[in-house]
Amino acid sequence: MAQSNNSIKKILTVAFALCIVCSVIVSTAAVGLRSKQQFNQELDRKTNILNVANLYEPGMDVNDTFASAVTPRVVDMRTGEYSEEHDPATWDGFEARRDPAASRTLSGEKDPAGLTRVENFATVYLVGDPEDPEQIILPIRGQGLWGLMRGFLAVEGDGNTIVGITYYEHAETPGLGAEVNNPRWQAQWDGKEIYGEAESLEPAIHLTKGGASGENEIDALSGATLTSNGVTNMLQFWLSPEGFGDYLAKFRAGVSQEAAQDADVELEAEGA
Amino acid sequence: MAEATPKGVLTTPVFKNNPIALQVLGICSALAVTTSMSVSLVMTIAVIFVTAFSNLFVSLIRHHIPSSIRIIVQMTIIASLVIVVDQILKAYAYEMSKQLSVFVGLIITNCIVMGRAEGFAMQNGPKLSFLDGIGNGLGYGFILMTVGFFRELFGSGSVFGFTVLQPVQDGGWYVPNGLLLLPPSAFFIIGMIIWVLRSLNPEQVEENEFRMKANTEPKEAV
Amino acid sequence: MGIRQTLDNLEPHFHKGGKYEKFYPLFEAVDTIFYAPPSVAKTTAHVRDGVDLKRIMITVWMCTFPAMFFGMWNAGWQANVAIAEGYGSMAGWREAIMMVLASGHNPDSLWANFVLGATYFLPIYLVTFVVGGFWEVLFAIKRGHEVNEGFFVTSVLYALILPATIPLWQVALGITFGVVIGKEIFGGTGKNFLNPALTGRAFLYFAYPAQISGDAVWVAADGYTGATALSIAFQDGMAALTEQYSWWDAFLGFIPGSVGETSTLAILIGAAVLLWTKIASWRIMLGVFLGMVATSALFNLVGSDSNPMFAMSWYWHLVLGGFAFGMVFMATDPVSASMTNQGRLIFGALIGVMTVLIRVVNPAFPEGIMLAILFANLFAPLIDNFFVQANIKRRKQRVGVPAEETA
Repeated sequence: MAQSNNSIKKILTVAFALCIVCSVIVSTAAVGLRSKQQFNQELDRKTNILNVANLYEPGMDVNDTFASAVTPRVVDMRTGEYSEEHDPATWDGFEARRDPAASRTLSGEKDPAGLTRVENFATVYLVGDPEDPEQIILPIRGQGLWGLMRGFLAVEGDGNTIVGITYYEHAETPGLGAEVNNPRWQAQWDGKEIYGEAESLEPAIHLTKGGASGENEIDALSGATLTSNGVTNMLQFWLSPEGFGDYLAKFRAGVSQEAAQDADVELEAEGA
Repeated sequence: MAEATPKGVLTTPVFKNNPIALQVLGICSALAVTTSMSVSLVMTIAVIFVTAFSNLFVSLIRHHIPSSIRIIVQMTIIASLVIVVDQILKAYAYEMSKQLSVFVGLIITNCIVMGRAEGFAMQNGPKLSFLDGIGNGLGYGFILMTVGFFRELFGSGSVFGFTVLQPVQDGGWYVPNGLLLLPPSAFFIIGMIIWVLRSLNPEQVEENEFRMKANTEPKEAV
Repeated sequence: MGIRQTLDNLEPHFHKGGKYEKFYPLFEAVDTIFYAPPSVAKTTAHVRDGVDLKRIMITVWMCTFPAMFFGMWNAGWQANVAIAEGYGSMAGWREAIMMVLASGHNPDSLWANFVLGATYFLPIYLVTFVVGGFWEVLFAIKRGHEVNEGFFVTSVLYALILPATIPLWQVALGITFGVVIGKEIFGGTGKNFLNPALTGRAFLYFAYPAQISGDAVWVAADGYTGATALSIAFQDGMAALTEQYSWWDAFLGFIPGSVGETSTLAILIGAAVLLWTKIASWRIMLGVFLGMVATSALFNLVGSDSNPMFAMSWYWHLVLGGFAFGMVFMATDPVSASMTNQGRLIFGALIGVMTVLIRVVNPAFPEGIMLAILFANLFAPLIDNFFVQANIKRRKQRVGVPAEETA
């Protein structure tokens, strides 16, 4: 039998048959379960969004709540206006960050969060009435100590007061930097303010060592200076006119549209 | 190995001939997934499933596998099973599969699975091979759960996600041991387990490679 | 001699067949603290010098005294200055002792500083000694070895590289790990390939990084925070560092840090004695020093806009953090270092290079000497093997014996 097993014909037959059988099994599993997997991914994203907006409760129907309470919109970060170019349900800004047509290069001081490239359009999630939202949920990301951290920041309808922050993807040190997802640390974000002065477009929110006191201060993560710096830097970027600064300005009292527009003109001039 | 009995193949791999503690196989995933017990448990189940069924299938077709491509055949079977497991986890245990990330996929390279297929299933019948797969998966799981228990208890102060020692970050008294959240700590724990197992079963200790000669007559140096 | 007689009277109980046969190691340990051991190694394979292990260990132990006493004073001084600036003092039994002995937190009083520092250092040392000694004796009894004096050195070195404010239970856990995993598991003194004191410290470093990573300083005053000299340089650059501390401050040791590490001068005094008595290898120290100088010079030359540590010059590397202490006391540990002369130079250079690499390039750890020494420990046997083989080959050639391949 050993003889016949090692004949070229037998080898080819066995290899071929095995490949057919295995590929059928694998593709059946992959195709059959795909819808379920996508559903899970969506559910995960929605849970994260509801979580940062303090709307999540264990056991609730995430899809229903999300559909009734949250409206996704695509924002053009260069102007701060809503854009109809992309469908909010399918647009993925993170995927588009490398697409030359839909993104731009950042460098030097304009890139505190270490992103190198950033997309022009981002999906924001509005809680409540889309015209006058209770909360605005912004996607944020930036370099931590060991790698990219991705998360959401929830801001109240006034465009200035923070509701919460959460990270759904990071590689920080367990016990130190990974404490960004400690609920006790996250709790202190509630009620903090992004901007120091009413007219300013520059975010003042930052993490500080040794006891946060002001409206714009958050306690740094103990023992994780570089992760804390990473969090500060990514907020500095995403809340500045480079990120959602112009967009948030529309919701803030005291910042005239002109000021925001001026900042844009300035930006474009520099960008050219 | 002595005559293989159904009971024997099922139980010896757990203590007497543990794939991790004695054969030192499959260490990689043991380091990576043992930060919490629930993740270890899912990983254990996945490995038991893959080892048992790959053993079963390899054993079923063992008389038809040409020896020149037998490793590839085994790999193909194992890889297919692993992909199926990965897809199922993604569909029905999404949270778990996120935490296990690439390590489910890496079961393909887990030497235990490959070793049992090549070392046992190629020579034995399907029923025995299937049990052997389960036995070795259990042996792997035993170490994984033990390591996971210590790492989760002392690293995060909980067991299966239930808080036992209230950590300081959450207002308790226990200062979590950060080392145990890092993969190298599993090395220490596995080492300790091997120490304990060998103290209990001295026949596991290898013979010395050489014996040092007893000190001869003490003479003044030079 | 009373002690000798008492010991001699007790001795039969501990010999084979005696009542306390099992505890012979304990008896032996006490006996040899007072008197020279009755039998020292005499066969050629083991004798490297006429001095026995016990004397070597005690000399090393005494060489740490300048660093130890200065460290106690400095720990107290740092705390008293902070308290004088308005931070609260730590309450508890330390404060009570402080009040009885020194009656106040006066940063100008040598005595007050010293007492405060001692209330922190001595408990650390005591815990190290008791807990570490417990494991040492336990393994000695179990294995029928004798208790080894190497532990004297391990315990004092371990205590000196800890910050003054570390909780005592962490001290106990660290030395347990250092002695059991770093040494006894491999067969005890002489067979460990890692430096046990550093192994214990490394355990704490990864297990409780929030308390010990070297990010924030360890000053024993309530609510006091600040960055260590190394993290100032890493975060804000050399200018910010030189603004706060002068090089002489750092050299003499008036900066916050682990108890024994701050004063480069005090460490160098110990180093002089070690070198003069030929206990420590000058080759290792030289290797570490040259490796550090070369690497930091290279980084100075390359320069970097984003990483201010590139600009730190070698004489700053020397006086900051644990570099000097590691170079003098840790790298020269005879068991875990290389044994061959050329090997020692390479071993030392590896430590020097790795220390600067970790300090400058790694974003997470401000201090690098501890990890560098442990790293080099792993390579020591390999380096030795290389030189031993080369030696054997050369000698064979010299005496004309045909080389190995004919066999």
